[in-house]
Amino acid sequence: MCKNLILPFILIAFCKFTVYCQPTSGWQEEVNIYKQIYNAPITLINGEQTSIDKLAEKKPVIIALVYTRCTGICSPLLLQLKESLQLNKNNNNYTVLVVSFDSRDLIPDMRQMAHLFNLNNNSHWNFAITDSINRLISSIGFKPVWNNTIKQFDHDALLVGVNSQGYISKKLVGLRNEKELELMIGSINNVYTPTYRLPGQNTLFSCFNYNPITGKNKPGMGLLLIALPAILSILLLVVINKFVHRKEEV
Amino acid sequence: MIASRLKKITSLWVVIVLLLFVISIILGILMRLNQGDVIQLSPVTFYTDMTVHGLTMISIWYVAGMAAVNFIMERYVTTSKPANIIALVFTLIGVLMLWASTFIGKFHAGWTFLYPLPFKEMLKAWATPLFLFSIAVLGVGWLIWCVSLIAGMLKKYSLAQVFAWQYFRKGPKTETPPFILISMITLVGIVTCLLAAVILLVLLFAEYFSKGAFVNDALLIKNLTYFFGHTIANEMLYLGLAVIYELFAEISGKPKWKTTWYVALAWNCTLFFILTAFFHHLYMDFVQPEGLQILGQLASYLASLPAAGVTVFSIVVAIYRTKINWTLANLLFFIGVMGWVVGGLGAVIDATISNNFVLHNTLWVPAHFHTYNAMGNVLFSLGFFYWFSFQFSNKMDDNKLSALKLFFLVFGGIGFLAAFYIGGADSIPRRYSNYPDEFPLAKTLAIIGGSFATIYLIGILLFFVNISKRCVKILFSRSS
Ligand code: HEM
Repeated sequence: MCKNLILPFILIAFCKFTVYCQPTSGWQEEVNIYKQIYNAPITLINGEQTSIDKLAEKKPVIIALVYTRCTGICSPLLLQLKESLQLNKNNNNYTVLVVSFDSRDLIPDMRQMAHLFNLNNNSHWNFAITDSINRLISSIGFKPVWNNTIKQFDHDALLVGVNSQGYISKKLVGLRNEKELELMIGSINNVYTPTYRLPGQNTLFSCFNYNPITGKNKPGMGLLLIALPAILSILLLVVINKFVHRKEEV
Repeated sequence: MIASRLKKITSLWVVIVLLLFVISIILGILMRLNQGDVIQLSPVTFYTDMTVHGLTMISIWYVAGMAAVNFIMERYVTTSKPANIIALVFTLIGVLMLWASTFIGKFHAGWTFLYPLPFKEMLKAWATPLFLFSIAVLGVGWLIWCVSLIAGMLKKYSLAQVFAWQYFRKGPKTETPPFILISMITLVGIVTCLLAAVILLVLLFAEYFSKGAFVNDALLIKNLTYFFGHTIANEMLYLGLAVIYELFAEISGKPKWKTTWYVALAWNCTLFFILTAFFHHLYMDFVQPEGLQILGQLASYLASLPAAGVTVFSIVVAIYRTKINWTLANLLFFIGVMGWVVGGLGAVIDATISNNFVLHNTLWVPAHFHTYNAMGNVLFSLGFFYWFSFQFSNKMDDNKLSALKLFFLVFGGIGFLAAFYIGGADSIPRRYSNYPDEFPLAKTLAIIGGSFATIYLIGILLFFVNISKRCVKILFSRSS
């Protein structure tokens, strides 16, 4: 009887596991948070020589790491970012810095990219290249890998929020909605956000489930698990009691 | 008539506990000396010692309480000897695995192994699973033991009787000895927290073996960790109290204590509140729901005050203006209850949310838990060990040596604890292997604490030699 119950339970549990267990490697938004970003010298597409710290001092910066020959995630990332920021009306105290992490990219390439997205005359957006890309990406914890077969970088879609003091205050991996971008803009403006869920983690036994649409937490399975030991021990007590008295009767 | 086998197993428990206690105290003194800059340990060695010290101490004083309760329970019901032996074997294996994972594998995440430290704080990759398995082995052995004792009691007493619910009606027809009531309340609490440990270990193993594909919820793991850790550390004190309810009056030559409605009520409240008091460990976790934080504070008061109230009341009534046969055993019980109350007050101060903002993770925390352990629970069990070892011998103890032993214990203990309390009041953080210059008092206090702890150790060594000699005789005796 027990076997009949336990086996299906284990099977169902493991099926659920495989659904929920997306690999998390590369989804680590917490890496290098609250660390100083490397103050890389950069050249903007208008020819201006500046640095990340200097830009951030004027206004906190959202850095998007892309390259112009990307046939994958770079364009969707910039497109989504552009659309989401257009929807954001609450806080305009930021600039976006699109930096190429491909050393083959030159100023004309970046200029063309800005033009393609119709962002070349937008005061919120800067496109740039740097000759210190390795130091910059290692201070962020961004690790693109060159794939020689497809002649493309294998990389995350990454946005990095840098506050006016040059600290990385938040990262967003993947294509994310405007609510999460609002959180990022808040964070680079030193507005404290008590909780938000990190992406890619198994949510099966969370105490709370964060709803990014409403911005609210709802009680989750985890809270039940905290009560489970007490429930199990009451059951155990009843079972032991039944068991010892049944043995006596026999 | 106590079965000869039970006598022998209990003797073995006593010797093992005292031996491991001496080793663990030495680790504690080394930590204090390192914090005082008298010796230089690497941080990894310090935290390894801290992990071993904490977990070994909790394990041995838990099993000491269980061994005592098991021995005395045989007066009322038949207990299972195989379960007792299984627990002994599992405890030994568990402790050896723990020591291998820490001393060799350099697992050093502290005895609370707070998530995600178990996956980060070790030098050998195998150390983490071995550490988790050691907890599993200890837990399985202890669970079997608890369940066997509960089953033993339920064979004789009904569920209502074993929790003394008949005292809530007028003119109760049956009696529940206080020892049975407190043992049952405590064992149910222990089973609950061991089940929390089972869930905790399953989740940690799932993360470990999925190689990061399954990631745990930090809040859930912290709740479960303290459900297990805080609860077992408190329940083991109640095992000692069950023994005191049985033996204090007997040794003092007084009538046996009886269960009354207020004793029944106090202990039934304790069962519920002790299982929810652990929420006070999460006051600083802002994601924890506010309701649980408030429950944590209320439960911290309600778990300790009623039980402490009725126990102190019973002891005061027993000794006030009456002649008592003071022996080393009931003196140890008496001083132990005082240590428990003082430590309990320190804990309640810390469990008050407004105070916790200041005292959280300062030396105040080891101050209060060492008070009710080193000067509370240890003395409860030492009292039992002492009484037990004399049960089967005709010789009486040398009074002068008794006074000396007690002096070392109390004098050393108070000095050792005072250094922690003063450090806590001065906001010196706990779990620092080396104190930075920002805490000018910290090093001096650590040296003072370490020195007094050495005096305490001398007292324990005297007890160890004295009690172990007699226990070894019992162990190798042929009598039944
Ligand atoms: C004279 C005897 C003892 C000495 C010298 C001693 C010393 C210490 C020291 C120095 C620490 C680290 C404090 C810190 O956070 O900075 C510690 C932690 C601890 N001690 Fe003791 N101790 C003694 C007795 C006991 C007893 C009797 C128990 C329990 C029954 C106990 C349980 C613990 C626990 C659970 C920890 C926490 C470990 C952790 O944070 O992972 N100790 N002890």
